[in-house]
Amino acid sequence: MLVLDRLTYMHPGQASGYEFSMTARPGEITAIRGPSGSGKSTLLDLVAGFLAPAGGALTLDGRSLIPLAPEERPVSILFQAESLFEHLSAGDNMALGLPAGTPATERAARIAAALTEVGLPDVVRQRADTLSGGQKQRVALARTLLRNRPVLLLDEPFSSLDDETRYTTRALVAELTARHNWITVLVSHHTDDVAALAAQSYRIEGGKLVSEAKR
Amino acid sequence: MPRSPRSSNPVLPDRPLRLFGGAAVAAGIALLVVLVLWAMAAAAAGTAASGRTVDVAHLLRMTSIQAGLTTVLSLGVGTALAWALNRLRFAGRDLVVGLFASAIVTPGIVVAFGLLAVWGRSGWVNDAARTLFGAPLDISIFGLGGILAAHVILDGAFAARIILSRMDGVTPARLKTGQSLGLSAWQRFAIIDWPAIRGTLPGLGAIIFLLAFTSFPIVLLLGGGPANQTLEVAIFAAAKLDFDLNAAVLLALTQIGVCAAVVFAASAFSPVPSSVGASRAHRWSDRPAASALQWLVLVAATLGFAMPLLAVLVHGIGSIADVATRPTFWRGVATSLIIATLSAALTLGLALVLTLARASSANPAVRTALGIPAYTYLAVPAVVLALGFFLLVRNFGITPDTAAPAVVVLANSLLALPFAVATIGPPLDAIAQSRGKLIRSLGLGGWRQFALVEWPLIAPEAGLAVALAFCFSLGDLGVIALFGTQDFATLPLLMQRALGAYRSNDAAGIAAVMLILTVAAFVSLPRLFARLAHARA
Repeated sequence: MLVLDRLTYMHPGQASGYEFSMTARPGEITAIRGPSGSGKSTLLDLVAGFLAPAGGALTLDGRSLIPLAPEERPVSILFQAESLFEHLSAGDNMALGLPAGTPATERAARIAAALTEVGLPDVVRQRADTLSGGQKQRVALARTLLRNRPVLLLDEPFSSLDDETRYTTRALVAELTARHNWITVLVSHHTDDVAALAAQSYRIEGGKLVSEAKR
Repeated sequence: MPRSPRSSNPVLPDRPLRLFGGAAVAAGIALLVVLVLWAMAAAAAGTAASGRTVDVAHLLRMTSIQAGLTTVLSLGVGTALAWALNRLRFAGRDLVVGLFASAIVTPGIVVAFGLLAVWGRSGWVNDAARTLFGAPLDISIFGLGGILAAHVILDGAFAARIILSRMDGVTPARLKTGQSLGLSAWQRFAIIDWPAIRGTLPGLGAIIFLLAFTSFPIVLLLGGGPANQTLEVAIFAAAKLDFDLNAAVLLALTQIGVCAAVVFAASAFSPVPSSVGASRAHRWSDRPAASALQWLVLVAATLGFAMPLLAVLVHGIGSIADVATRPTFWRGVATSLIIATLSAALTLGLALVLTLARASSANPAVRTALGIPAYTYLAVPAVVLALGFFLLVRNFGITPDTAAPAVVVLANSLLALPFAVATIGPPLDAIAQSRGKLIRSLGLGGWRQFALVEWPLIAPEAGLAVALAFCFSLGDLGVIALFGTQDFATLPLLMQRALGAYRSNDAAGIAAVMLILTVAAFVSLPRLFARLAHARA
């Protein structure tokens, strides 16, 4: 269980800050809604370790994440765009999710299996800049499979996708979350994404999270 | 004990090794500056005055007038040329833009020689005048006019390329708005272009002023006597010809003082982007009268820049066969290529260590400390740096002849370092800012970050930095002029000696070879690096 307990932060020069409290459970998608500039990305940056909180607690199954550097946190992130390095192939991008010394045969087998799981078995040699927006997000999701971290943070991951790709990618996220028992936190300003995916949702109001009706 | 994300900027991965490497290089470079200044100060203190009076005020005035006029004229010509290139579309436009981009690396001695071939007493213009009018034109290429012409050809083209990149950076939406409002050519320039370019002009002007203030081969060749002598040439004359170290050191310290003040002032201005790639912009042609003026500007500027270079090739190619029979020529070619290659490799290594360290830190004080030593050499002109090294190795009991190859490589490398850092630094910073979160969340190690992410993305810029360093070294006369010997001479030194001995055919042949090598290196090295990185990626 991922718990934020009065996790506070104030951007330099800002008059008022944020105080986040929420609980996210394994195998479920927890959605955070709010207009642009409301603090959705700040919340994700605090969980991922890119921002250091001024106070409060952030725990995963009772263990504090605050002392951990971003790369040490049990977290994978999917951004709206630029989750892949465009100059590398899909396979090379995914290999970045494996430890540096992984033997070549094991690496190839795991990459192939992960790509198959996200429905893209044939793109391993394709450069990322030749993939469509939906394919890029699927490859990035496949990399999170290789990293095998219990928390998945999604920062507006469907915003740049067309409707059809958006529905299929959304379904894939729901399926992977359930199958791998991930704690998925989705940040979005699209109400239909939240309605379709979230087991529970929060909206940000005045720098605080307000719980919304459970599905 | 796990690291706390509070310990540093959490968006950037912790790279202590990079910071240590950068700090070591920055400290080493700073130490060299101190040693060079110390060697000069010690020489000045320990040498009896020669009795010869040095008119520092006159030299300072002449150098400043020359550099000031060069700056104003180059910015004017550069803006007009960029305006024409931004508006006009024609077959071979990329080639013309590339020609002007190459101005930054074209050796000054080659341009000066080309100007002589076009405008000199026996040049193309006077030959044509004799044929047409029976008498040559009353124009002298020697003196202030000649120096300004050579500088404006080089620096005006350089300015045009930088200003063009700013004009090309205007967003299509802004251009479409202007086009839909039916702006006139003048309104378009004043309302759309000027706001885009004006921030660049002070920094660009400072760089041009420094280049002109420290210009050596052009003033040496076209100065036409003591009246137009500049500090740089006076230092060379005092150290190499008159053996008056006291005067040389006094002039050198004056020169460093002025250059340092300009560098300090320029650091407050907007950075100047390095632009040598293809130029693309939204298509919007001005009205016929403005277009006619743009064509006029373009043709005049292209002729002004290309004619001297063409003259070098026309005069020189026929002489290459003759000069190629001399063993000294081949020794010069080999020495130039070896020195330029080593210097370029050293420049790239130093620039990478410094810029990787800078990109891994968000602390402004750390970033400044890592950057200042590299940029210090903008304030130390080539002849002054060479003089400092000359005195330094002498103080350490090493004969200048023994130290010459290493010193020339090191000095050429340090002189190219500010340009290399300015070329490689911004893309590395951009990668750190835009991809720092992803790199850190994936937990990539420093080597994987460099080999898989950074190097493939910055390879074209690294290639450009290598090309700049290679070409600067290939065309350098300031350092080799003090350290060169009968057995250790590069092509520019051989060319200068040939001119001094009135062997103008030999000089033409050498100039042509230098021009061909420079253009070949400038065009091919960035492409080679980009291709190598692409193959790796």
